[in-house]
Amino acid sequence: MRILAIDSSATAASAALVEDGKVLGEFYINTRLTHSQTLMPMIDNVLGCTQSELSSVDLFAVSAGPGSFTGIRIGVASIKGLAMARNKPCVGVSTLEAMAYNLELTEGTICAVMDARCQQVYNAMFHISGGHLERITPDRALSIEDLAKECENYTKPLFLVGDGAKLCYNNQWFKNLKAVLPPEPLLYQRACGVAKEALTVYEQGGAVTPAALMPIYLRLPQAERELKKRLKGEKK
Amino acid sequence: MQEITTFSSVETESLGERLAKQLKGGEVIALFGGMGMGKTAFTRGLSRGLEIYDGVSSPTFALVHEYHGKFTVYHFDMFRVTGWDDLYSTGFFDYLESGGVLVIEWSENIENALPEDAIRIEIQQGGNENERIFHIEGIEV
Repeated sequence: MRILAIDSSATAASAALVEDGKVLGEFYINTRLTHSQTLMPMIDNVLGCTQSELSSVDLFAVSAGPGSFTGIRIGVASIKGLAMARNKPCVGVSTLEAMAYNLELTEGTICAVMDARCQQVYNAMFHISGGHLERITPDRALSIEDLAKECENYTKPLFLVGDGAKLCYNNQWFKNLKAVLPPEPLLYQRACGVAKEALTVYEQGGAVTPAALMPIYLRLPQAERELKKRLKGEKK
Repeated sequence: MQEITTFSSVETESLGERLAKQLKGGEVIALFGGMGMGKTAFTRGLSRGLEIYDGVSSPTFALVHEYHGKFTVYHFDMFRVTGWDDLYSTGFFDYLESGGVLVIEWSENIENALPEDAIRIEIQQGGNENERIFHIEGIEV
């Protein structure tokens, strides 16, 4: 089983070619360059450097959300196009679950967090033990404060991962929980994590046709608040 | 807070051009003020100050226009943006990360989503038809 996986759900982007669990090649960049300029060259290069043909890919995988609006659309559209041309199956995985695989070696609780702005994060919680990842919550969007309060109840140590990890780590609520910040190379979602999760989904029969692959957007919790500051006496 | 009065759209453009000279890249410039206050004229001047000579016009329908000069400028019009989902699907939060300069017309509509360090410019009608009073916060012009 050969999987071509990509991630462009946030600032960083990556592309990996994975065969039966072995990472044949992976490209990763973390700059402010737009994904529309970097993603296709990375896919092309990972195939070129591993001397692999696109036709040898059995499954196409992408982190389908949560994440940045444009980033997710670029990733999903790219995988859709590649898979459609070859009439191959696709898997869209949770970005949060893909990044949790960075910390497979740990024991405790993984708090996967992405910055959703305005002190809000996208999050999912996982229990990790003996290399086995178990999901505790669905992907959701909530405030950093609410997340920290909830984290009091989970088994320690508490590991942060994702582009919201530093944001949480520097928050007093999380300092009190003695949350652990992993080193930089393990901090962000990677295409090889996407491939790993995609294989699990595939084995459970979760692969879809290119046409059925869709981005996953989570409604921001701040949507409950007003976007516009209303003037006194102004009607809703 | 700085208060500057202009007496014509030409002067409004010049003010934008002067402000552009202070920019270092990555700023968010939030414009407040209704129809005909000179938001687009101000943005045209600001763009000229960044060596952008493409036609600057109000992105009422496209929501965002992109201009390339000394910095890349993303020119937003939030007039039709009424909720967080709308705002998310303009890519606004992604543009904040881009390192470009964001100029936002109708910032009234997204005030709770503006970064804390945004440059805020409120434009009011002065005593005469072509007179405009600019209240500028977050930068010295």
